[in-house]
Amino acid sequence: MYHYDSGTKDVQNRQTDKTMNKKAKFGFDSGQQSQSKKSKKNHGSTQSTQSQKADVKVRAAGKDAYSPGPERSSESTHTMQKRAQEEAKSTHSDCNSSQQHLMKTSSAEDEKGEVDLYRGEEEIEQELHEKHQSKSVAVGETQSSVSAAEDIQTYSEREWKGNTTKSQLIRKGYEAIASEFNICRVRGDNYCALRATLFQVLSQSNQLPAWLHDSDIIKWPKEIHSDKDFIKEWQFPFESRKSTVQHLEQCLDLLKKKWQEAVQCKSLEDRERMCQEVFRGHDEEYELLEALKFLMLRTAIQLHSDMEKGSDVPEFCWLLFARDSSKCPRTFLNNHLRHVGFSGGLEQVEMCLLGHSLQQTFRVVRLYKCDTEEFITYYPNDHREDRPPPLCLITEDDRHYNALVPKKPSKFDERGRPKWNQPSDGQSNITTRL
Amino acid sequence: MSFIPGQPVTAVVQRIEIQKLRDGDNLILGFSIGGGIDQDASQNPFSEDKSDKGIYVTRVSKGGPAEVAGLRIGDKIMQVNGWDMTMVTHDQARKRLTKKKEDVVRLLITRKSLEEVVRQSMMQH
Repeated sequence: MYHYDSGTKDVQNRQTDKTMNKKAKFGFDSGQQSQSKKSKKNHGSTQSTQSQKADVKVRAAGKDAYSPGPERSSESTHTMQKRAQEEAKSTHSDCNSSQQHLMKTSSAEDEKGEVDLYRGEEEIEQELHEKHQSKSVAVGETQSSVSAAEDIQTYSEREWKGNTTKSQLIRKGYEAIASEFNICRVRGDNYCALRATLFQVLSQSNQLPAWLHDSDIIKWPKEIHSDKDFIKEWQFPFESRKSTVQHLEQCLDLLKKKWQEAVQCKSLEDRERMCQEVFRGHDEEYELLEALKFLMLRTAIQLHSDMEKGSDVPEFCWLLFARDSSKCPRTFLNNHLRHVGFSGGLEQVEMCLLGHSLQQTFRVVRLYKCDTEEFITYYPNDHREDRPPPLCLITEDDRHYNALVPKKPSKFDERGRPKWNQPSDGQSNITTRL
Repeated sequence: MSFIPGQPVTAVVQRIEIQKLRDGDNLILGFSIGGGIDQDASQNPFSEDKSDKGIYVTRVSKGGPAEVAGLRIGDKIMQVNGWDMTMVTHDQARKRLTKKKEDVVRLLITRKSLEEVVRQSMMQH
């Protein structure tokens, strides 16, 4: 019952395109914007006029600036961009599908190996202008890499104006969950799946999981290194004078500390503050994300060894190692995992691996699959009861992930009066005999 | 039972495997469902949270395949054969349960304590 995309990552292209996408490494806005500029080519969508590209680019650039709080335009040097963004949105609303592509990983772009070399004068000027602005922001302010919670209905209507079949489908999907959840937008670089996961874990975990509590996870990098020498192929998004093993130890230590700190927070405000501190786009955030990647590797090694022995393994393992580009942990690391965050994101089967590594389940609302059985998919889909409640994520395209936080239904209306259950207003209330 | 991530679900989670019964050209399950994202959730007598748009078992035929398999009135159906049932329309739910090619359906359900379910079903009459 799995419907995975196979082979959506072209290994050869990824290698050559690595240098091109170096700028996309960091989560800072300057890097972010150049990435979106590079990927402004079309992915089979019909928009190809230059003016539309410029507008879409402006919107994408403005969207990446996640300053905390709902008043994004106040005290932000991105005010001008936002105004341009508003204008752009009202006239080119159907560019949203390509916009999602702009936000996402460039893995699909790598496959096709195309770069749009033709840019008009206005676009170049615009890029210089935005770079200048973003530099001052990067130096002056810290931009949050996860936004505050927003109402989904508002978000959906703002992002998906227009009446294409796709817009309607996506809006329908958002509407179906709008009463239960709010959305936290996650910075859209190639780390977004990991980042959304980390955010959900730190903001909603009730207790330290058994595997983290019981094991001395700081010993794990050395253990793996002594057994498999390929761990030295690991790449980090920041400079370090330490060895790979030492650096990974540091990352894991930080993960354990932060997880503990999160579950020990006494109030909701404390927890929110702690999360805001983590998700500032600094080295600390990336160390935590690299720690998650390491856990995936360790789990992949274990599962592969179990498979070879003939022991029972979860279903997704077969798919994980069935790919030509990742027949074993070594090739999985070299061709897939080490590029996560740089030139590629996580495939669905890798989301299953991530969930399994953390002993968690993901519950993902996949908007482009609205009206099908895959609208909500669980990664991994093995119905284990010994796991904490699922981590809820949302995606429009299986590339970029945002986080969902529960909307607590208010028992009081705006004036503070208690809300009573409304009598049925003639809405359907049928039962069907099966 | 509304789903709130991070909070323990104080309900029983069960797997129910129902063998459909062939009745001429039909495959019978022996229970009725209510709910769905296109339905009026406030009328659901079984849900704790009246905005819960999930699929609930509203009736179980005596001696039918569902009852034999252990399904009970008031159960909330979370998954059918692995497919999510918490965010579906009433008709989508019906379709997932009545596939002609499948003569077994494996449900993942949650159930509140027995006393509460009995109390609520009695309140209905």
